Formats: sequence, structure tokens, C-alpha cells
Amino acid sequence: MLEFRQVHKTYATPQGPLAVLAGVDLQLGSGESLALMGESGSGKSTLLHLAAGLDLPDAGEVRLAGHSIAALDEAGRARLRRDTLGLVFQQFHLVPSLNVSDNLRLQARLAKRETPEWSAHLSERLGLAGLERRYPEQLSGGQQQRLAIGRALAPRPALLLADEPTGNLDETTAGEVLELLLALVREAGSALLMVTHSPQVAAPLDRCLRLTHGRLGPAAGPEARRC
Amino acid sequence: MRPWFVAALLLLTLAGCGERTAPEDPAGFAGLGEAAGDFAQARRGNALRFPEDHAAHPDYRIEWWYLTANLADARGEPLGLQWTLFRQALTPPDERPAPTPWAADQLWMAHMAVSRGDTHRVAERFARSHSAETGGQAGTRAEPFRAWVDHWQLASRVDASDEANTDDTFAALQLTAHQDDEHGGFGYDLTLTAEGPLVAHGAAGFSQKAADGQGSMYYSQPFWRIEGEVTLDGETREVSGRGWLDREWSSQLLDERQQGWDWFSLHLEDGHRLMAFQLRGGGPDGGDYRSGTWISPAGEPTALGPDEIGLTPLASREVEGREVPTRWRLEVPRAGVELIVEAPHAERWMDTSVPYWEGEVIARDADSGQDRDRRRGVGYLEMTGY
Amino acid sequence: MLTALATLLSHYRRHPGQLAMLLLGLWVAGALWSGVQAINASARDSYSRAEALFTTGLDRLERRDGEPLTRDDYLRLRRAGLPVSPLLEGSLEGLDGTQLTVIGIDPLTLPGDNAFAAASRQGELTAFLTPPWQTRVAPDTLPSLGVNARQAHGAEPRLAEGRLPPLMPSPTLPPGTLVMDIAAAARLLDSGERITRLVSAPGMLERAPEGLVLTRAATLVSPGQLTESFHLNLTAMALLALVVGLFIVQAALGLALEQRLGMLRTLRALGVSGRGLVGLLALELALLGLVGAVAGIVSGVWLASLLLPDVAATLGSLYGAEVAVTLNLPWHYWLGGLAVTLGGLLLAGSGVLWRAARLSVLGLGQAQAWRSGFLRQLRGMALAGGGVTALGLVLWAWLSRQPPGEGLVAGFGLIAALLLASALWLPPLLALALAGLGRLVRRHPLAQWALADLQLQLPRLALAMMALLIALAANLGVSSMVGGFRLTFLDWLDQRLVADYYLRPAPEQFDTVQAWLAERPEVAELLPTRHAEATLVEIDGPDGLRAPHLPVGLYGITPGESLIPSWPLLATRAGRDAAWQAFAAGEAAFVNEQLAIDQRLEPGDRLTLTAPAGQETLTVAAVYPDYGNPRGEVLLATPRLAERFAAAPSSIGLVLAAEADEAALRDALRRRFALGGDALVDQREVKRMSVEIFERTFTITRALSALTLGVAALALLASLLAQARERRRQLAPLWALGVPRARLVTIQLAQLGGMALSVGALALPLGALLALGLVAVINVAAFGWRLPLHVFPGDLAVTLATAMGVALAAAALPATRLWRTPPRALLAEESGT
Repeated sequence: MLEFRQVHKTYATPQGPLAVLAGVDLQLGSGESLALMGESGSGKSTLLHLAAGLDLPDAGEVRLAGHSIAALDEAGRARLRRDTLGLVFQQFHLVPSLNVSDNLRLQARLAKRETPEWSAHLSERLGLAGLERRYPEQLSGGQQQRLAIGRALAPRPALLLADEPTGNLDETTAGEVLELLLALVREAGSALLMVTHSPQVAAPLDRCLRLTHGRLGPAAGPEARRC
Repeated sequence: MRPWFVAALLLLTLAGCGERTAPEDPAGFAGLGEAAGDFAQARRGNALRFPEDHAAHPDYRIEWWYLTANLADARGEPLGLQWTLFRQALTPPDERPAPTPWAADQLWMAHMAVSRGDTHRVAERFARSHSAETGGQAGTRAEPFRAWVDHWQLASRVDASDEANTDDTFAALQLTAHQDDEHGGFGYDLTLTAEGPLVAHGAAGFSQKAADGQGSMYYSQPFWRIEGEVTLDGETREVSGRGWLDREWSSQLLDERQQGWDWFSLHLEDGHRLMAFQLRGGGPDGGDYRSGTWISPAGEPTALGPDEIGLTPLASREVEGREVPTRWRLEVPRAGVELIVEAPHAERWMDTSVPYWEGEVIARDADSGQDRDRRRGVGYLEMTGY
Repeated sequence: MLTALATLLSHYRRHPGQLAMLLLGLWVAGALWSGVQAINASARDSYSRAEALFTTGLDRLERRDGEPLTRDDYLRLRRAGLPVSPLLEGSLEGLDGTQLTVIGIDPLTLPGDNAFAAASRQGELTAFLTPPWQTRVAPDTLPSLGVNARQAHGAEPRLAEGRLPPLMPSPTLPPGTLVMDIAAAARLLDSGERITRLVSAPGMLERAPEGLVLTRAATLVSPGQLTESFHLNLTAMALLALVVGLFIVQAALGLALEQRLGMLRTLRALGVSGRGLVGLLALELALLGLVGAVAGIVSGVWLASLLLPDVAATLGSLYGAEVAVTLNLPWHYWLGGLAVTLGGLLLAGSGVLWRAARLSVLGLGQAQAWRSGFLRQLRGMALAGGGVTALGLVLWAWLSRQPPGEGLVAGFGLIAALLLASALWLPPLLALALAGLGRLVRRHPLAQWALADLQLQLPRLALAMMALLIALAANLGVSSMVGGFRLTFLDWLDQRLVADYYLRPAPEQFDTVQAWLAERPEVAELLPTRHAEATLVEIDGPDGLRAPHLPVGLYGITPGESLIPSWPLLATRAGRDAAWQAFAAGEAAFVNEQLAIDQRLEPGDRLTLTAPAGQETLTVAAVYPDYGNPRGEVLLATPRLAERFAAAPSSIGLVLAAEADEAALRDALRRRFALGGDALVDQREVKRMSVEIFERTFTITRALSALTLGVAALALLASLLAQARERRRQLAPLWALGVPRARLVTIQLAQLGGMALSVGALALPLGALLALGLVAVINVAAFGWRLPLHVFPGDLAVTLATAMGVALAAAALPATRLWRTPPRALLAEESGT
């Protein structure tokens, strides 16, 4: 499903070049779930952006659903994203001009893969039923993130990329949202790559990797038991 | 409509003293105290010569023909009038411009006024002329006499072409002046007949105006019988009465410290005439300077010296924002007269470019109180510098 | 407090674009407004100086036979008691080749209350009246005399005609005029006893003395009066530009406040009082306002100095009003410009201050409340639009009850109400349209998103779109009016100028020349004209008798076979032929449209006019158009006019026979009669000059309406730039969701283009209405003639294209930026890492 081979990524910073990824290898199969952990600024988000084709590696190869990201042009990468990916961000990034219902269905419609039953089911499961006419800013934080999850899962993407999906939520809400996310990912049959810094969040996932000094390794410490 | 240069003229004639003469101003009322400079001088010993002296003296700085009249209509309602022609030289004789068209060395100003009751109508005209030219917009002529500005004129009724006529052309005059205004117009058309001789004031015509000796040439015709028509606010009435004409010329009329004058001309019931004036400031001890002439019914003058006239303001009225004395005590012990002279109507302000007060007065004996029947005479009062 | 102010202003360091936009708005608004006001102030200064002079405001007397008057005439009239004053006029050539007018006056008899009087108040009359005399001259004329201002006083420059009397600068005199005592002028001009004319205070003469022609001051309309409508036009255009500029300011201020809400709350929480905060914001406004306004005024004056020569030429040729081509600005101009710009800024900023004042320290509100807030705002706009419409209707009802030609200001009010109401209704209309369209395209997610997103942008774009609507409509209205006028005017010129040549012989030569021409084979028809002045004392119409006592010009034309078919008539009593028959027979007169509108005349009315031999009564047979003429005129057959009104000869129109030898005739005429250079005028020359005058008249109108459109484009660009950052943040998730950047850019352009097109479409009927208002109300009131309404399809297309062009041009920069933004940067903005 998703494969990183010796991926390098370096950014120019005022203090000189910063190697964020220095030879990352990663394999993620269909339906598999993986937690990616690391310190702030360790390059988790960069890795996620490369996985989504939002950015290109300096060296090495990123393959998504059988396509090498670098071989596609920008429009091709956009199409690939549209057709295979779901994205959930830490800041929910809903479209403020669309109401809940239209936000939920937006990506599915863009990908021309909307199934009304699935959308309705998602809406029901995410506790958004009855809120369809509302606009994003009229929802609570938890509701907004659930809507973002729904939008990402509505086209039943092959891979869901989630960047700290519960980072902006309080503990209780975070737990509920995470539970819902995992359940729905299973229902949709999608693979999941989730960036988080919380061992509790990482725990329920199939695997767990830690990004340190630009390289991936097994997680150390208490969370290592599941990885 | 007032000519625009009212203020400019004021500046010219007042030589910078503004409408209300400032006490420290050296030039006297209307600039009449300016030094004579290169102009001819009025001096003791200058003789009057007629008919030449009826006409203008362009070598002198200033000059006037000044007629006032106390008239009454057929029903006895009193009416006053004034007609004055002022001349002012623009340049001393030796600086006159060549007489090209429009070039001027003389400036003329004429005032006319008609008053009845509280009504007082005033008009003013200006003109230029060159002294080398006759027949301009304004001017004078000695024989037969004529003085005019535009269509306002005082002229002899004696036909000069009639060679048989040897009369004094000055003794029978016609006064014509009319002015349109928003009230329907006013003016007069009058015949003037002299019923007595010309009277020379002061020393054979030299009238001293200040203690240090400067003065003017001054004579009068105080014996006019007047008849004719006067129009006021569009209404014309037959009138008759008495008039007084002053002729005066000078190059420095006032002492430079003198700021104005109060001048009386009275026709008394017994046929006497009295002229008296005081110049405020410039007297022997810095006080007022008085002078006058007591004229017998036959026209014999008696010059009155500064100490022979008493003039005391008794009451004043506010006219056009100025405090003007309208009731006077006038004493001439030598002639045995002690009069209360009063203006029955105070609203006689001449709102002309050089403003002053000029109006009819009634004279009573000082001991007669307010009794109108004890009237001793009528006349005119002129007050300047207020 | 200083820290707090610095904190507030630090926002602009982060967002220099907003600062630029704010200052740009103020600058543009201030520049156009103060530019036009500078022109107006300068022109008014020239008028008041001209009116101060003796050419207007006084009745004039000239000899009927055109010979000069002499000093004897003057003295004769004075002695008859007439209050006339002599005036000698001549021209000299300045050292730089300019024509200078010498005016010799007699200050002793000159009627009062003109500004020369004021100028002379400090002057000594003696110095003016006596050698070496004085030359009163406006300081801006000194360069023509080769004198600089510091040495001017007392200088005696030598011109070809001789040495001038010592100069005395008088700022109140009109440019190019030397005023001196008549004696000095007579010497300089070597005019002897001759004078140019006699003048008299208005109304002081009941009738002209024997042998003289009296021209009433009332007929010599003062330039200030004549050009009032012209300046009102300019002011209205400038006001429009000011409003459009303030739209930009308002948009920028709103944005700056919104983005600083967090900062304001923090400052409040840190202990800055609410009142203090509002004070600080007001201080910030004032600082910005001062910078913007000063820049605006300075560039406004520069703009005015560019436009002034054109305006001066227009006013000169159209109204004969002399306007100095250099700016002459009184102190109150500067203060007024500053006050208007700052006042406008305060008005535009009052909403911001109000919102800042009501800001709650704890409120998170803004983000959540914007939707309902905007809806409330839309409702408010619709309501206000309704109110303004009602006001417009009231004005319209009032105007329709006024006689035609009345209510210039109300007419402008009506047009302002129309524009304002349309502008206010635009955002609610657009919001409705977007919501409706959004429902229609549910199945197309991108289209749906684009429309929904446009709704989101509407609060930001509304003001710019309103500005665009106003500017487009004004542009269309003005170009329709000018274009229509142009068509009508050119047509009318062709109809009026039927003769090939116009000859203006000296009055004493007139009959001889006419007789000589009649014998010439080259001439097919002679069209002699005459001219007289009269007072219209009575009108006998259907609604009874009226006594207007109005001075009118009388013109005699020759109704022959050349003239009758082409001379245009607007209204007749019994048809064209009958009207011309009655006219030729001398029973009837024609009146021009200005007079007809002014006095509510209709064919069939009877006019009584003063004439040398008492009064003459004429029947109005027709009304004719008379564009460009400020006065009321009555037209008669030439022989009739000569006989009944003792009219002076004026000119002879020469209709040439086919294949006539024009050059031979011209030469023969010149040789035979020693005609002056300007006595014979080619019809083509007249036309060329007329068209030139016409073009100039509207140069500035067109320039201003184009500038206004430019300002609107700037407003749109500024709005787009100001929200560009936020836009990218909104577009980023879409991109992340898989919409390619090219598509996003296209959508952006389509969004704006579509909106601008709708605005353009709305501007079409609005522009047409505006044009109607201009030709049917404003022109009639301002000039006294009505024009047919022309709407040019080309103009409509241009308007739509302009709308699109403006929008796309404004959108191009943000779109290019979006296009050029590397995806990484887009993402960085998006995710904040």
C-alpha cells in the first residue's frame, strides 16, 4: 500500500541544512495500522506529507498504491490523493463555506465515489445526525474533528493519513474520537498511518515506530511492548 | 449704491486718520490741516475781487460753494436743504499734468440733501477736471456765474448775451439738482434772489482759523430769498424761504491740531444774520478757537473775535453711533444776544464719503424756555469731526 | 500607552500590504477629490476676479452704428443726468507674446462694489489719478511684463506701445488685465478722445439714449453663474471618486481590525481600558489619515495642474470665462481638502471603532458569529438601500412636479440616491444569487464549493464590488451622455451651418458689401443676420399673462431655400411648413429651447418685447434647439428684425453656387473691402472649432470617470491582496484533498470573473438610468437643453468587458502568487509547522 525506500529529506534553515529524514524505510500493507511517534520537530509531519504526495523526497522513493510519487506530475499526485487517500489533520481544516453535510461528502464527491448509505452511516456513527445544516464554526472541537474524520473516510480511501488527530482535544473527547476513528477505519477497510506523540493513542494500533534523528526504529520504553 | 472709493477718498482727504479722527492725528478734520506746501496761501491782506472770486481758485488746495436754505411749503411745514460743491486740487500748480484728454488736476465732490421732519435724503457726486479746460464734467465760471457737477448746478439767471444787462450775475441764481433713489427720488429747482450785499468775514475776507494765524478767504451771501419746487421721495411741493451761501478757499484751513468745527449760520427774525464757529483745539491756550460775524439787516458786518462768542453744548443725541451736540447756548454779548440753538431733528447725518452733521436749527432767546412762539430765528448748523 | 500603540501598529509591520492598501485608498480618494477641488477653487478665483472687473455686472452702452464713443458723448450724457462712466479698453502684447487687456477707468464715476474697489481701498486715489499714474495688475500677470514679484511694486516695464505707469500688484484682478486711470490708458493706447464704451450700474438706465445700444448686465451672465453647473458636475465626479476611495479604506480597516481582534483582547486582558483602546485606534486612524490625506492633497494639486489647462480652455471657449492656467489656491482650500479626507476617513473608520468599543474581553465569538453577523449586515444593507430608494423616489416625485430646468442639485441628489441604493442592494443580491446557484449545482462539488466559498468571500469583496458597480455605471452613464450629445450636436451643427462662408463686415460697410455680393455669380444665396437686445416684458400663454422682464437676445436669420430645409425645429404649432411660412412673413418668431424651458413657452404663446418704438408683440411659431448657448434667444426674419427692432447688422452667410471659385471670391472680397483677417470665416473652420470646444468640454468628465474606474479596480485589487494569505489557507485543504493547483487558480479566476460579470450586467441598466438622469434632468437644469437618450451597444459591451478586465486584472496578481507558491509553502501555511 505505502512504501518508503531510503527516503532522504533535507531543509535549508537559517542554521544550515537540516536533515529531517535520513534514509527512512517503511512498509504498510492494506488494512494495516501503524503509529508513528517522535519528538516535536523530529520529522513526523514531513514523513506524512511525503506519504500524501504533498511533498517530494530529495532521494529515495515513496510508492503509494503502486505508484512512485516522484514519477507523477502535480496533477497526477493530486488525482492519486483524491482517489486513494483520506487525510485528517490536527487543525481540522474543514471548509468553512460548506455545511456539515457538504463537508462530509466533499472528498467523496470530488473522487466521484460517494455512496449515500455509507455517508449516512458515517454521519450517524460520528454523532453528526441532526447537525447536517450547521456550519463548521457552529460545532464543538470534538464534533469538528469527527466531521474531518468522516470527510476523510467518506470515499472509503485505501489509506487514511492522520496527523495528531486528537492533539487539539481534551482527554475524554480524544479517547472517544480515537475509538471511533479506529472502528470506522476497520469498517471502511482502510489502512491507517497515524502520527502521534502519545503512547496511549499509539497503543491500539497494529504497529508502532519511532522517528529519531531522521531514522525509523522500534519504539523504546513502555510503548515498545506492542511494537 | 455708493462709489467704491469712498474709503479711498477718505484716506486721501483725511490723510490717514480714519473716519473718527484720532486725537493725536496732526492733519485736522478731512486733511484740512495739512500744510499748504506749494499751493497759494490765504493771507491777511488778500483782497476779494468780484466777479472773479465767485469762480474756482485752482492754485489753492481746497474750496467750496456751500448753500443752505430754511424753507417752508404752502402749509407752512418747514423743510431744509443743502447743496455743496467742494473742489480739491490733486497737484500743486507747478506739478499739473499736460491737459491731455482725461488728465486731471482737480477733484470735485458735490453733496445735496433735502430734509423734512425725520426724513433726510443725501446724495454725493464726484468728478475730475483739468484747470486748463472749461466745460468738463464739473467746474465753475465767474461771469455769468455757474458752478456744476453733471446736471447739478447753481447758475446765474441773468442772460449774459443780453448786453444791456449790467446786473451782477451773481445776484440772481437758479439751483437745479435731482437724484434718483429707491424712495422715488429727491431734488430741487429753485430761484435765488439776493436781497442784500455780499458779506466779507474776518479781516476784509481773510478769516483766521487758529491762534497762530492761518486761515481762509471767506465771504457769504446770507440774504437769499428762495422760491421754487422741492421734490422729496417723489413728491414735489412749492416752497419758499431763506438761504445762505458760503464761499471759502484756502490751502490750509485748520491748524494741524484742530480736529473739527461747529459752525452756525442764523437768520434772525429782526433781519440780522449771525455767523459763528468754533474750531475745536488750536485756540490761544490750546483750547477752542472761535470766530464769527454779526451782520446787520443792511449787510454791514461786525467781525467777532475769539473772546466775543460763547458756545456751550447743552444736550447731545446719539446719531449714527456718534454723540452729537444738538442743543447749544450761543452768546454774543457785544450784540446783546443770548440764544438757545436747537436742532428739532437730530437725524441729519451726512453719510457721505467725508461724513458730518448738517441740519436746520431753530434759535430762541435763552430765557424763553421751550416756548415755540418766542422763536428768534432759523438757520443751519454744521458739525464736523464727531 | 505608547507600548500599546506600538503593539497595535506592529500589525502593519507584519502585514505591510494592509497598510499600503489603507494609504492607497486615502491617497487616491484624497488626490481625486482635492484635484478637482483645486480646479474649482482656481476657476472660482478667476471668476470672482473677472466679476470684480467691469465687463460683467454693469450695464453697457455702445453706439448703434458701431462707431466708437467719445469723451463728448460721455459729458453730454453726464450733463443730462445719466449715471454713466467711461471705459477704455485696448490690448497690448506682453513681453512673452501674450495678449494683455488694458482697461482705463474713471474711478470717480465707476459704479461701486466691484472688487477693484476693494483692491483700491488702501491705495491712494491721488496716485491713481495723477501722473505718473499706476498700473494695477494681478501678480500672475507679472511674468508677461518681464517683472518678478519682488521688484514689481513701482516697476515701469516698457512694452512696444511705451512705458507702463508704475506697477501696483492687486491680487483680486483677473489674469492678463492691466487696470489704470483712463487718462493713463488713453495716453498708452493713443486713443485721444475715444472711449470703448460707457458703463452704468445695473438698472440705472431705463432705456438706451438716442443712437446707443444698451446691453443689460443681466444678459452678460457672469462667468461664475454660467459655469456653476460645470463645476457642480466636476464636484459630483470628485465626490464619487472620494466615496470609491473610502470604500477601499473601509475594507482595509475592517480587515486590520479583524486580524487584530486577538491582539486587542490580549491588550484588554493586560489592562488597557476599552476606552483607551478605542482612543488608540482613533489615534492610529488619525496618523494614517494625516499621511494619506497630505499625500492625497499633494498629488491632487499635481493632478489639477495637469488638468487645469484643459479645463481653462473649455471654460474659455464654452463660456468665454478667463481662467488662469496656473493654480491659485486660497488657504481654506488646503484646510478643506484635509478636513474632507480626514472626515471621510473617520466616517469609514467609525464602524471599526464602534466594533472595537463593544469588544468583549472574553468573547471567542467573532469566528462563530461572523455568519449571523454578515446576514445581519446584509439585511441592514437591504434596508438602507430601501430607504435610499424611497428618498430617490421622493426626489423624483418632487422633480417631476418642478418645471423643466429646475432642481440641478435635486437632480444630482436623485442620481446619487440611485447609485447608492444600487450599491447597497448589490451584496444582498449577490448573496441571494450565490445561495440559489449553490443549490442548483449540488452535484458538482467543486462548483458548489466555489459558490459557497464566494459567499464566504462576499463580506470582504462586497465593498470593492459596490465600488466597481458605481464606477462602471458612472462610466457608462457619462459615456452614453457624451456620446449622445456628440451625435446630436454634430447633427445640429450640420443643420445650422448651411452657408459656406460667414462674413462679418464693419457695420458701415454692411449694406455695400451685401449689395456687391448679391451681384457676384459665385454666390447662390445671401443669408444676412442681424442682432439686437430686448427685454421680454410679457408672455401671453394658455395659463394667462406673465411679466418676466427678462433680457433676451434677438437674432435675425434669412429664411431662404438653403436654410429652411435644414434648420432644426423641436416643436411647432401647426407643422414645419406653416411655422416657416409665418416666420418668413414676419408674423411669427422662433424661440430657442433654453428660453422655452426657462419661461415655459409653447408654440402659440405671444411675446411682448421692448423695441425702440415702444413694444412689439410676436407669436411663437416654433422652438429650435440651440446647443451651447447659455442665453435665451428669439429668432426673427432679418428684414423684420431690422425694421421693428432697429437691429444692428451682424454677419452675412454666403451660400456658394455649385463649382464657384471660392479663392477668387475671397480675394475679390478682401481686395474690394479691405476686410480684416477674421472678417471672413470658413464654415468648416467654424465646425472644427465647435467640435473642438465640444470635445474639450467633456475631456475632463471622461478623464474623471476613467479615473474613478481605475480607483474601483484598485479597490478590488487591494481587497484581493488583503485576503490573499487567508485565501491560501482556505485553498490548502482542497489541494491536500486532491484538487490540482491549476484547477484552483482557474476556479479563483472564474469566481471573480463571474462576480464581476454579474456586477457589470447590473451596471448596464443602472448606467442607462444614469444617462437618462443626466440628459433629462441634469443637462436641462444645467444648460437648458434636453437631449435624446442614446444607449450605444458598443458602450454596453465595453462596460461588461471592463468589468471582467478589471476583475481579472485585479485577480491576476493573487492568482499568480498562488500559482507560484511552492506546494511546500502552501502546506507550511496550512499546517503551521
